[in-house]
Amino acid sequence: MRNNIAWIVLAAVMLAGCGDKTAGTSAGTIGVAFETLQTEYWVASRDGIAAELKKRNLNMLEAIADGDANRQFEQVRNFITRRVDGIIVVPKDAQTVVPMIREANRAGIPIVLFNRPPAKSDARSVTVVADNFSITKDTVAYLADQALKAPGKRQAAILIGDLGDINAIARRDGFEEALKPHAGRIEIVSRIPTEWNQEKALAGITNALQAHPSIDLIFVSSDLLLPSVVSALKSRGRYLKVGEPSHVVLGGFDGDATAYRMLTEGYLDATGVQDVGFDTAATVQAVVDLKAGKTVPETLLDPGFVIHRGNLAQVAPRMWGAGVRK
Amino acid sequence: MRGLLTSRYLVAVLAAACFAVCAPLIPGMATSGNLSNLVWNMLPLAVVTIGEVFVLIAGGIDLSVTAIIALCSVTGALVMNGRTGYLAGNPAAAPVAVLFMLLVGALLGFLNGCAVTRLRMPAFIVTLTTMMFFGGFAVWLTRSANIDALPPAFNGLAGFGTLTVAVVVALAAHRTLRHSIFGRWLYATGMNARASLVSGVPVHAVTIAAYSVSGLLAAAASVLYTARLETGSPVLGQRIFLDVIAAAVIGGTSLFGGRGTVAGTLAGVLFVALLDNSLNLLGVSFFLVFTAKGVVILVAALLDSAAQRVLGEAVE
Repeated sequence: MRNNIAWIVLAAVMLAGCGDKTAGTSAGTIGVAFETLQTEYWVASRDGIAAELKKRNLNMLEAIADGDANRQFEQVRNFITRRVDGIIVVPKDAQTVVPMIREANRAGIPIVLFNRPPAKSDARSVTVVADNFSITKDTVAYLADQALKAPGKRQAAILIGDLGDINAIARRDGFEEALKPHAGRIEIVSRIPTEWNQEKALAGITNALQAHPSIDLIFVSSDLLLPSVVSALKSRGRYLKVGEPSHVVLGGFDGDATAYRMLTEGYLDATGVQDVGFDTAATVQAVVDLKAGKTVPETLLDPGFVIHRGNLAQVAPRMWGAGVRK
Repeated sequence: MRGLLTSRYLVAVLAAACFAVCAPLIPGMATSGNLSNLVWNMLPLAVVTIGEVFVLIAGGIDLSVTAIIALCSVTGALVMNGRTGYLAGNPAAAPVAVLFMLLVGALLGFLNGCAVTRLRMPAFIVTLTTMMFFGGFAVWLTRSANIDALPPAFNGLAGFGTLTVAVVVALAAHRTLRHSIFGRWLYATGMNARASLVSGVPVHAVTIAAYSVSGLLAAAASVLYTARLETGSPVLGQRIFLDVIAAAVIGGTSLFGGRGTVAGTLAGVLFVALLDNSLNLLGVSFFLVFTAKGVVILVAALLDSAAQRVLGEAVE
């Protein structure tokens, strides 16, 4: 028993030692609350924010909600109790973050949202978000040009994200808008809901390829879902390189390591890239500026860019997925 | 030391020891603001865990509590939200929606209880199935979208109302388990259902009632969680099931039935909330936090199990 208690005390002391880095001569502490770190994009973003904070001699107090909005609310309240100098939140969704912003407003602590804007309310915050609509529109416009190089009518499909996520909706709308001018030649035959879930994506695209075997163009709303599409195409013998007969024109969004590998190997036509370097720097700068009492626009848009085989060598250094080791 | 190990308050003592160790090491840990946060964080979890404890004492398990929380959240929001709600703009929207949520929760629990007793299916399978069904139904009802614009009267429950609900639930549950015939039937059913049946205990009715209580309290927790987030969400509470079971087991409830108390459950919930709170304030890396939490919960469960062994030897 005595040994058990000794172990508990030792574990608590070790935890304290490994976690608390706020001592010393830092310029302050920023609470960073991520919804999840279960995809490469979030890990790259977390690392980017950590690097930007370190650059400015700011400590990072991090918390991950593991997809639970209530837990995230509790974590933000804990940050406020700790009297952090600023809060950065990657919210689970647009609605549940509003009470968190209100709490931060009441405590007079600046709060910046990363990647997802809040629902309309009287709560005050700054959001750094990719221009999901425009990046998707540009990406799909490129894909349409590739698909239309072949004669005749073409069929297209989209894998849609979680419709509770405003970014997923913007990407879906960007897809639809890009194909509008080609309505006579490109027909959208399948809109597959995935809720950002790879299993649902695989089942959905498999069914779509069964119902429409001649789909020529597929857009995935996140590169996270590319492995599902690859698996479904392979099982139908249609996972082919750009330029091969029966190649399915394939595009994505995010710019992760899988997309980079597929681009370099010639299986992916294009992907819309969120500029993680821009996003993380703008987020940390916004929280620093707000703390200093400066005025910051309510939304800071990341224009992003489209990467395809034509500009791969030129823009790959700006693609975050190119720097992730697989 | 033997006295401490066999104490009914071992978990509370461990929680106090954990706090005493962490408080000097973590800035802000012992402030009144953080203590208020800690209590505020544990209240809805306590409500749902007390419901689960009723089922565990009766020898069952309810895996569907998180799905009931989600389904009650969206059904209540569909009734009262200011945009498309059936009672949008009606001053009675909030109370009617709360009653509706509680009714839905109790009904879903009742269905679980009926399936377990009448169909003679294992509780694990029944509630696993209903978890998927209720959760899927919540997503289908809303097409995955959150519902906001809830009435301010409802959102106001997130403050003092949470404390009131949790205190009333804890006192009523304690009284029921300790001082009512239903409480005694519940323990008897969990210890040995067949012997209880032979002795005249209405085992089926008691089991159905336990699941109904679990559903009702999951709905009450749903009211508190939904009010706090000002949003009806089809995935609300999806990730808290392990916390619920951990709090119950750490609090001395047996997964084999027949044992569990409200005081122990509250201590277990406090321990889980304290763990989350301290790991959060420490800023422990995501990649360590689950491991750290798992290790600490394992140590607490091992201590509890050692205490039970010592108690068993003392009886022999």
